[in-house]
Amino acid sequence: MKSKKIFALTMACMMGIGAFAGCAKKKDAITNFTMFACMPGKEINDGNKIQEEIAKLTGVRVKESWLTGQTAAEAVGSIVAGGDLPDFIDGGDGSDALYEAGCLVAWDDYLAKPEYSNLKELYTDKEWELFRKADGKIYWANVFNNTYGESKATGHNDEAFWIQVRVLEWANYPKIETLDEYFDLLERYYAENKENADGTKIIPYTCLCEDWRYFCIENAPQFLDGYPNDGSVIVNLTDYDKPTIVDYNTTPTAKKYFAKLNEVYNKGLMDPDFAIQTYDEYMAKLSSGAILGMCDQWWDFAFTVNPNLQASGYDLLGYNYVPLGLTIEKGMTNHWHTYGDTLNSASGCAVTTSCKDPDKAFTFLNRILEQDILNLRFWGIEGEDYLVDENGLFYRTQEMRDNWADSAFTASHVCSYSYMPQWGGTSRDGKNAMSPGEQTSEFFATLADPLVKCFEAYGYTTYGDFLGSPVEEMGFWFPMYSYSNNMSTNTDGGVAWTKMGECKHQWLPTVVMAADFDSAWNDYMDAYKACKPEDFLAEMQTELDRRVELGKSA
Amino acid sequence: MSLKDSKTPALKKLSDKAEVKRQSVLLIIAAIYVIYGIVFYYLPLVGWLMAFQTYKIKDGLFGSEFVGLKWFKFLFSDATFVRVVRNTLAMGVLNLVSQTVTAIAFAILLSEVRNVLGKKLVQTISYLPHFLSWIVVTSIVHEAFSTSGIINEVLVNLHILSKPISFFSHTQYFWPIVAISNVWKETGWNAIIYLATISSIDPALYEAAAMDGAGRWQKIKHITLPGLRSTIIILLIMNIGNVINAGFEVQYLLGNGLLQSVSQTIDIYVLNYGVGKMNYSIGTAAGLFKTFVSMTLIFLFNFIAKKTGDERLF
Repeated sequence: MKSKKIFALTMACMMGIGAFAGCAKKKDAITNFTMFACMPGKEINDGNKIQEEIAKLTGVRVKESWLTGQTAAEAVGSIVAGGDLPDFIDGGDGSDALYEAGCLVAWDDYLAKPEYSNLKELYTDKEWELFRKADGKIYWANVFNNTYGESKATGHNDEAFWIQVRVLEWANYPKIETLDEYFDLLERYYAENKENADGTKIIPYTCLCEDWRYFCIENAPQFLDGYPNDGSVIVNLTDYDKPTIVDYNTTPTAKKYFAKLNEVYNKGLMDPDFAIQTYDEYMAKLSSGAILGMCDQWWDFAFTVNPNLQASGYDLLGYNYVPLGLTIEKGMTNHWHTYGDTLNSASGCAVTTSCKDPDKAFTFLNRILEQDILNLRFWGIEGEDYLVDENGLFYRTQEMRDNWADSAFTASHVCSYSYMPQWGGTSRDGKNAMSPGEQTSEFFATLADPLVKCFEAYGYTTYGDFLGSPVEEMGFWFPMYSYSNNMSTNTDGGVAWTKMGECKHQWLPTVVMAADFDSAWNDYMDAYKACKPEDFLAEMQTELDRRVELGKSA
Repeated sequence: MSLKDSKTPALKKLSDKAEVKRQSVLLIIAAIYVIYGIVFYYLPLVGWLMAFQTYKIKDGLFGSEFVGLKWFKFLFSDATFVRVVRNTLAMGVLNLVSQTVTAIAFAILLSEVRNVLGKKLVQTISYLPHFLSWIVVTSIVHEAFSTSGIINEVLVNLHILSKPISFFSHTQYFWPIVAISNVWKETGWNAIIYLATISSIDPALYEAAAMDGAGRWQKIKHITLPGLRSTIIILLIMNIGNVINAGFEVQYLLGNGLLQSVSQTIDIYVLNYGVGKMNYSIGTAAGLFKTFVSMTLIFLFNFIAKKTGDERLF
């Protein structure tokens, strides 16, 4: 009797759960997909206007979610372990793990079909080769740094030593070329200015050391020696046909750079909390206008800091940053700014095996590369977000610009699907830029006055001009970080790479803060050598040779 | 738990079958827990196999290459892992000692308070931090110990320091900070069980002692502490196995690159290699080692307790 009751109760519970599951299914002619990007980002509101426009045209709506409080690798690790895959994913540094786990759908069949020609068009055959994994298939396409037609680039989306424009203005716009000149200027400015107008104490220089973002302190030596951002190594081109891998951690320039930071720290010019600050604290400091200069990637700070400066009116006080192309000695050529596209084959947008309708997913990816949707994603709705003049050029009124700088407005209105395939450069109409940020007229209209004055004083028209890097295409191997980012601890080189990272995380701030730099540097070098960097460098050389061969053959 | 062992005469007469029927509901309820235990505690142990393989998700648990003790050799030749074990044990012992001592001291102090309202108030306030999540506590700790935080401000104003110390830039402060955070968060909560034990001590003992002329201090020394003895031993045995669980969130949230040589625990190492670098094999091997140490500690302490004739677990 009792067991019957229990049975009945169990059945009732199960039916209840079943009923709830039934409720969860919404009836909608539009297919809903999910996407996870291994980057911090902002979720947009449900019913976002442009998202709905795109859904009307494509029949697909994608709910994007972003990284919160984890590293990319941890996020991917737990997604794979839990088997809870979204339909689309950009795995960032964890992309290879997704491939290893067999979670991704190969692109090859789709790329071969004419219906997906927009996807195929993203890269040349030779470039697609770089995405090929060990099993001979392609699983993702990087969505960034891909120029359609003529480049319209106005920004410097890369790394640099940045400086607030007010400091340059104060010094009457001098030409700053070396590391020594840079810190000398910061010191002179700081000697006369200790506080901002609002009472915030000025900190001349800071340096983020947190987790993977420690590149801010770590990789400057490669640039100071004049090399481009291969990220983990220098590629020496003395013999162009047989380039070699060089370790930038142990070069004389590296020692000089850290000795300089040590000197700056001991003079009290450096943020005393630089080594322990979190990314959020760092963003807050930059947004307060307290920091005169730092070394960082544009994408690592500008998308948070610039809107904050604008919102608080600090942009009018000249707290915005411009990049400087510093080298260790005067008169060296630098490669802080790379022209042309940087193809990072290590990660990109992928479709997962849990996607119920991969054909539809790929059709969607293909469709959103059509110009009408690209315009919707980056310019918005015509008449509402931009206007077209008699020559067919797009422009915005100040109100439209303000809207797009307002986070509440963008959350309910703007949907750029920023981690899905896209183009930079020139629109298919041959006149406009793909995005407003690259439209020359729009670019200048959105700059604050002190920035405009600075651009004019130097006679520059883009951020890239500040660096003064030569306009040249990078070699086919570039960038090498697309390999090291995905190394695993299953190889000796990968283990060495992990250990080198741990070692540098601890020692780089230590040598900067040391009372006796030379002895600290020697201790660091001993600890560094114990990580067997030679294993890592050998693996990188093998990969470089492979890429050089690939570049020659294709 | 099981009614079968009870020696009531009525039950003795029943046949096995009849008894099963009589207890069917109880058996079903018990079975749920047994199944739960098997599914969630014992079945996952099959995953220990990964420690002896080069595990690849694609190949699965039974298809991955078997490599024997390779990963254990890797671990013990890895200076980082050895350091991580040291950190874990050091912080575990530090936490255990500081928490036990403060909890007992706090319980005794509180039991001596005669004002009931004041006692209840202090007790409630003191165990509230237990319910805060570590992410909140570490934010408070981080702020308090920062160069512009309250600790530095007090020390500088008292002229103990000439200028603020950046506590999180120096390795020597990290373990004490973790211990202090744990004490702050858990003392009130841990004291509850001691308070309960103290209140169960026969008041006649105190009265007799008072008549013999014992003061407060002597009563604590000769009645309260001996009365707590068995509780302390049992809790120590149970917690000793947790020494190796020195923590994950505190160290993960308070640590930074500069402090990693003292801040990383085995759990963080497992996360870094297992989940972060997707090397499940190293992660499992490190976890397995942790289990082994934990079991050894419990058996060892239980053995010592048995030898000294005190309370023990088994």
